[in-house]
Amino acid sequence: MTDLLLSQVKLSGESQFGTDEYVVNMGPQHPATHGVLRLIVKLDGETVKETIPVLGYLHRSIEKISENRTYPQCITYTDRVDYVSAMSVNLAFALATERLMGIEAPARAQWLRMVFVELQRLASHLLWMGAFAGDIGALTPFLYGLRERERILDLFEMTCGQRLTYNYIRIGGVMIDVLPEFVPKCRAFLDYFEPKIAEYEGLLTYNPIFLERTKGVGVISPEVGINAGICGPSLRGSGVSCDVRKQQPYLFYDQVKFNECLETAGDCWSRYKVRMNEMRESISIIRQSLDRLEPGPIEAKMPPVLKAPTNSEIYSRIESSRGEMGVYLVGDGTAKPWKVKYRCASFSNLYLLDELTRGWKVADIMAVLGSLDMIVPEVDR
Amino acid sequence: MKVVERTGAQGAEKFYLIAVVQGLFLTLGHVIKNLFNPKRMSVVFYPEQKKALPPATRGRHRLMKREDGTPRCTACMLCATACPAECIHIKAEESPDPNIEKRPEKFDIDMLRCVFCGFCVEACPLDAIRMDIPDVTIADYTRESLVYSKEFLMNHDNKDVVTGYNPPRPVQLTHGPHARP
Amino acid sequence: MLTGENIVQLVSGLLHWAYAQAGISSLAGVIDPIISAVVMFGFIAVFVMFLVWMERKVSAHMQSRIGPNRVGPLGLLQTVADAIKLTIKEDVKPVNRDKVPYFIAPIVAFVATFMGMVVIPFDKGVVVQDLNVGILYIIAITGFTVIAILTAGWSSNNKYALLGGFRSAAQIISYEVSLVLSVVPIIMITGTLSLSGIVEYQKQAGYWFILPQIVAFLIFITSATAEANRAPFDIPEAESELIGGFHTEYSGVKFAMFFLGEYIAVVVSSAVAVTLFLGGWLPLPYLDFLHIPGFVWFLAKLLLVIYLIMAFRWTFPRLRVDQLMDFGWKVLIPISIINILATAVVWFCLYGKGAQ
Repeated sequence: MTDLLLSQVKLSGESQFGTDEYVVNMGPQHPATHGVLRLIVKLDGETVKETIPVLGYLHRSIEKISENRTYPQCITYTDRVDYVSAMSVNLAFALATERLMGIEAPARAQWLRMVFVELQRLASHLLWMGAFAGDIGALTPFLYGLRERERILDLFEMTCGQRLTYNYIRIGGVMIDVLPEFVPKCRAFLDYFEPKIAEYEGLLTYNPIFLERTKGVGVISPEVGINAGICGPSLRGSGVSCDVRKQQPYLFYDQVKFNECLETAGDCWSRYKVRMNEMRESISIIRQSLDRLEPGPIEAKMPPVLKAPTNSEIYSRIESSRGEMGVYLVGDGTAKPWKVKYRCASFSNLYLLDELTRGWKVADIMAVLGSLDMIVPEVDR
Repeated sequence: MKVVERTGAQGAEKFYLIAVVQGLFLTLGHVIKNLFNPKRMSVVFYPEQKKALPPATRGRHRLMKREDGTPRCTACMLCATACPAECIHIKAEESPDPNIEKRPEKFDIDMLRCVFCGFCVEACPLDAIRMDIPDVTIADYTRESLVYSKEFLMNHDNKDVVTGYNPPRPVQLTHGPHARP
Repeated sequence: MLTGENIVQLVSGLLHWAYAQAGISSLAGVIDPIISAVVMFGFIAVFVMFLVWMERKVSAHMQSRIGPNRVGPLGLLQTVADAIKLTIKEDVKPVNRDKVPYFIAPIVAFVATFMGMVVIPFDKGVVVQDLNVGILYIIAITGFTVIAILTAGWSSNNKYALLGGFRSAAQIISYEVSLVLSVVPIIMITGTLSLSGIVEYQKQAGYWFILPQIVAFLIFITSATAEANRAPFDIPEAESELIGGFHTEYSGVKFAMFFLGEYIAVVVSSAVAVTLFLGGWLPLPYLDFLHIPGFVWFLAKLLLVIYLIMAFRWTFPRLRVDQLMDFGWKVLIPISIINILATAVVWFCLYGKGAQ
């Protein structure tokens, strides 16, 4: 047998047993792609040669539909842009429209928005933490994360009646005022939740296997990150200060004290750590916002039909749970936007996936993909 | 944007085994605590036990009725216009009552399209449509049966449910036949 | 007094009386092993079902859930229901599979691990076959699983399965080495390969080998976890990467066999760990006046070790394939070689040539 093989090698002048590319289609149905993302992964053994994300499996053409909806109606569609962090997208659209039309929401509404958006950030980071740990193979943090997320959703449900797609933050204010018992319940939750972060960190942060899997994996250098348009916690993990809440404060973020969480290594672990620290900062922001909550109107005085000025356009951005969430609106004088464009953090963060995984192992795709906090509906929209 | 300088190695990373043991004890602690105090576990035994829906829940729609059993709805189309999902289909007809101009001949809500945003309830000036039936597990076998007809939407005892979606309205009616109690 | 040995003697007495009544005494040498194998199979089947239930309950309680609680008291019959479901389920097979290996792989995986149970001493004298090369036998026979997994991965004609199969081959072969090396000091000290003999040695010595050989114990548990393809070393079936790895394409009974095989491997490795390091059926020191039968002690220790392996799975993330190899070859194997040398030196200094 060996002689036969050798003779073949001699005859052809080179080995007939050259290596071939091993193309694996990960997704659209795959446990680790968080929905219906498809990755065409070209492998050399276990080593990744190329990762090509194929998008569009969850495309619902929200931007196009929005052109045929009035401004308030668009809010219901923003819920579906990023359903893990729906409040943030609600807020992004509402703020953009308010800036376009020159509406100023009353103070109570602004503080309420801050409470809810930061609660949403907690819920989103909790789900992210669980999913990221699950991608790496630790299944328990997911359940711990969801346990606390459930309580946040209870707070949302108590206020606006829905658990996932809230439609709560409206143009010019919020949908409905919070119940009197909301504030004590929210404080009780924060007191309950604060020590739990240490619990998650106890399971993950310095666990040697977790460190092995995340330290030095998927390193985004600050220059590459900025050039590729990475944003949010993913870029802050590289040590780039890019928090919209600090740089271009909206709502009352300039009136509360909080730190921008930065890590310097730029690897998966840093991104993880940034998000864990952000949860602590969010708690502090919510506490301060609840302190400043004073009775008052929750909705600005607005015309019954909201119309944007002719030929008006605006790009407004906020810091959503995933990063910079931008909304670009073009008004044409009617009640419907002429053009809506969402600038989603997931989409721009996904851009680096190929570069970050090339030359690494199959398992690192999951670690990197998880650490970028990508949500498929936001990628496809 | 500004780039922060890289700091040195973190100290606590060095103690590998401590973190391993710490993790094992953390989960062991949960096992023991949960074994002796099952109430710690936030579990709802679903089909038998259901979480109480809060008053704000946007539930299933219903069409409110007048005292004589006819719908309060006057087919003004405000809800159908407000609906972002275009799931309300109304066909108006002349009302036999001389005081009322129109009434719906057909009032269909396509639950497969409905996004439960509550805009229809907020838009209605007559409090004719409400989303206060505390039923959030809407499911059926056919698409047709999930298009709720006027008759289905009016198949209720017209009582006010304490729990239910009660949003601020554009026109607050405090007296008269359409006033909300 | 109730001991495992007495029970075995009683049962075998009854059996031989029955043989005499039936006039088949001459066949006792053939029938006895069959009966013990069947009894062992029955035991292991029930025990594995219990283990599956236990794993689900333990993981649930770790995660603040309740776990199975519908079928039977405390959900104990859930595994039975699952087993019935798996057996009556349609066996979905990929069209382009390699038919014969695809069929044989789960059987080999199941049988190879199950055969390991044959030499485990549950109590003094309670063992199906007390081989004098017991450890060697277990290590050899459980090594067959790698063939099963590689075959399964190859014959499924699925890319994930193939990756899983290759990962598994690399992993099991590497960790086999450290597994064997971690056992060597024990064999050096006791001078026997028989599992019962090792327990007897611990009884006479008055201490369990976990005390002088804690390093070997840790290496053994780690390697055994890797051998059984359990998290954090479950890269061959890594759910979040390879979906199901080598058993992606298996369903129904064949999947059940892989599943059972994994749990039996856990039982076998834990049983060996108990025998080698935790004194097998020996009671806890100062508690032997309680006269608790040896097999109860054995099972208690077994469950403790199994809990440890389960806790690993539900606490730790999964290693990457190259880190797994690094860990095996660059950490575990050097440490176990150093351990062997250190043991040899210390034992020679303490006891001289006639250590046994």
